Amino acid sequence: MLFNRLRITSWLLALLLTIPVLVGLVGTLLPAFHYFPPLGELHFSLASWRALWQNDEFYSSLKLTLITGIIAPVVALWIALSLLAWGYQRAFFQKIEKLLAPILAIPHAAIAIGLLFLLSPSGWLMRLFSPWLTGFDRPPNWITVQDPYGFSLIFALVMKEMPYLLFIMLASLHAIDARKTLEVCQTLGYKRLTIWRKVLIPQLYPIIRMPIFIVIAFSLTVVDLAVVIGPNTPSTLAVTLFHWFNDPELSKRFVASAGAIALMLVIGVVMLGWELAHCALTRLTKAERSNGKRTGFTDYLLRMGVLFGLVTLFSALVSLVILPIWSLTRRWRFPDALPSSWTFDNIKRAYPILIELSSNTLIIAFSATLIACLMSALMLEIKRLTKHSENHPFDWLIYVPILLPQIGFLFGLHILLIQINLNGTLSAIIALHLMYVLPYVYLSLRGPYLAYNEDYLVQANRLTHRPWRNYFVIKLAMLKPALLTAFAIGFSVSIAQYLPTLIAGEGRYSTLTTEAVTQAASGDRKQVGSMALLQAFFPVFVFWLAHVLPPRWTRWRLALYLRLRKCYKQLPIHGQ
Amino acid sequence: MLSIKNFSLSLADKALIEALNVNIKNGQVVSLMGPSGIGKSSLLNFLSGTLSSGLNAQGEVYLDQVAIHTKTPQERRVGLLQQTPLLFPHMSILENLSFAIPAKVKKCDRLELAYQALERVGIKDKANATPEQLSGGQQARVALQRTLLSEPGFLLLDEPFSKLDPALRREVRVFVLEEIRKANIPALLVTHDAEDAKAMQGPCIDLAAAH
Repeated sequence: MLFNRLRITSWLLALLLTIPVLVGLVGTLLPAFHYFPPLGELHFSLASWRALWQNDEFYSSLKLTLITGIIAPVVALWIALSLLAWGYQRAFFQKIEKLLAPILAIPHAAIAIGLLFLLSPSGWLMRLFSPWLTGFDRPPNWITVQDPYGFSLIFALVMKEMPYLLFIMLASLHAIDARKTLEVCQTLGYKRLTIWRKVLIPQLYPIIRMPIFIVIAFSLTVVDLAVVIGPNTPSTLAVTLFHWFNDPELSKRFVASAGAIALMLVIGVVMLGWELAHCALTRLTKAERSNGKRTGFTDYLLRMGVLFGLVTLFSALVSLVILPIWSLTRRWRFPDALPSSWTFDNIKRAYPILIELSSNTLIIAFSATLIACLMSALMLEIKRLTKHSENHPFDWLIYVPILLPQIGFLFGLHILLIQINLNGTLSAIIALHLMYVLPYVYLSLRGPYLAYNEDYLVQANRLTHRPWRNYFVIKLAMLKPALLTAFAIGFSVSIAQYLPTLIAGEGRYSTLTTEAVTQAASGDRKQVGSMALLQAFFPVFVFWLAHVLPPRWTRWRLALYLRLRKCYKQLPIHGQ
Repeated sequence: MLSIKNFSLSLADKALIEALNVNIKNGQVVSLMGPSGIGKSSLLNFLSGTLSSGLNAQGEVYLDQVAIHTKTPQERRVGLLQQTPLLFPHMSILENLSFAIPAKVKKCDRLELAYQALERVGIKDKANATPEQLSGGQQARVALQRTLLSEPGFLLLDEPFSKLDPALRREVRVFVLEEIRKANIPALLVTHDAEDAKAMQGPCIDLAAAH
């Protein structure tokens, strides 16, 4: 009976995970072959593919996508590995480790906007070195950000992905027993970086393969980052497709759908190529690993990566510092290193719009993440009860939305939203956010949830048999630290969403992210600065809460109860 | 009075326990000894109704002449004390205790009951403390009080002293026996340690000898 119900719930959840993915895919695939009832197209044809092959913008965009989408993950992985190999177990590095979570929490658009303010010809970097070094008293006519080769986009991507990879690696290190390996190899006379290169990295790679693939898919398909800091005309394929999908001429949609399918194929091909390259590299280096040399020339690659890594981390910090400066600026003429006069007027003026954007953002993020937490708990409870120790279908189904390109897939889903009359509503936005929040919440909750000592719950039910209440008051309450961390991660993922908000909301609901991205390049820096600042502030604040609250929660709660004398006022005072 | 009649346990044709008959009077502690793997824990699971499938167990259990082996675990009114005290770390000691009191008891009476239990442990100043602020011996005693507050019909003790250091163990044993006598319910103790069995001043059944 119980088992039957479990199986039904399990199937329902799996359906709930698959249906949007399938609908999105079908909704992209059919228009790509010219089948689109809403526009009265009921005949399959290859016309859109022919149009795509003949479109020059497609090729130039694809080239840019391949350049940025392959170089960025390679560089991010290289730098992350270098930093890890160099810094593991060093005191200084432990400070960097603590910085990782907040950096991860900051939406990438906020960092990109900060980077834009830093690197553009009239940016902070140029101001700091002008005119005393460069001689400029007017912004030079250079192209620094949004460069046609996508270098600034690559830099922004690396800034976002490197901390993520580093975070994942640090979390997986216990699985390969790095500390012991280092000790053993050091007694054999190997140098630190060589040990990492020859022994540890080859063991680490298989564990972090999935996160690397997520990073690759993200680099190839990102829209918001590319809009802010990527090249224009041509832009990357994802952005070009985004313009085509939004083209007033509706027939452009067919070509765009074909392009979206092409982008999916590109992701598959790049991942395949990545794996082949990894195999080839392993073959090539295999003999070198056991040649007995205690140091190696290629150690310099790692050492160089450290340098780049520190520069990247430092730029990320500076990019964040510049946001509040701009939002408090009254006058900041070009070569001045800092604003000549400061003011709160920008914030006061932007106050109504900031309040509206913030409340939209927070409502969406809170609802989507709360639902995601409850769903994850339910899915994990099912996984526990059915004793699928290794591969429950949930474990791989959950990855699908984050591996597919948002562009195309989401436009396909949009058609479904129109059919069920949910387009442009808040619930539609929350539902689409949920799709991207759920995987991260599930993955971060999985370990602690499955490791929970079930004896506590069994004992609680033996003391008072109220299974539902005890599940919340005992089990979930004891999992508070893990739940709050998962919530913080989901929350920051939701805040960062750009396309889902735009597509499901049809522009009727703007969030901090959509506004900041839309106005980043053209808008008023003072206002964009405030938006990006708030956008960065909320997730960091929630992360801070998730870090600070759990260890103190019980103590504070009890102190509060005592203060309110809520529970203890009837207590008899015995002979004191 | 708890009566176990004709209990036998087998694992895939291998008989572990055969035709065990035990009678435990109210306020009495019967000890059960034997090497690990002989089925001591399975007997406890059988009594509390949580025996996992795969083991073949037969027998009847009566609590005050009422058959309970046919009842669901929550209807059996069983109290179980394990090696680890399993106090809920996110609740104060007082909350841990009042958690166990049946829901029908009114709010002010609950506090009074919990506070009395706290006094029996001798740590009424720690009402508002969390379990981690208590010593191992105090935790064990609070765990016993908590189980007793849930008004069980009988008590199962699954090596509750094994994680305490020897000096504390003696104190806690005395405390447990006293409290069980006060509560006046039958109790079955499973242990490795002959000292435990002796301290409980009741009959001791050695499963290895019975084999």
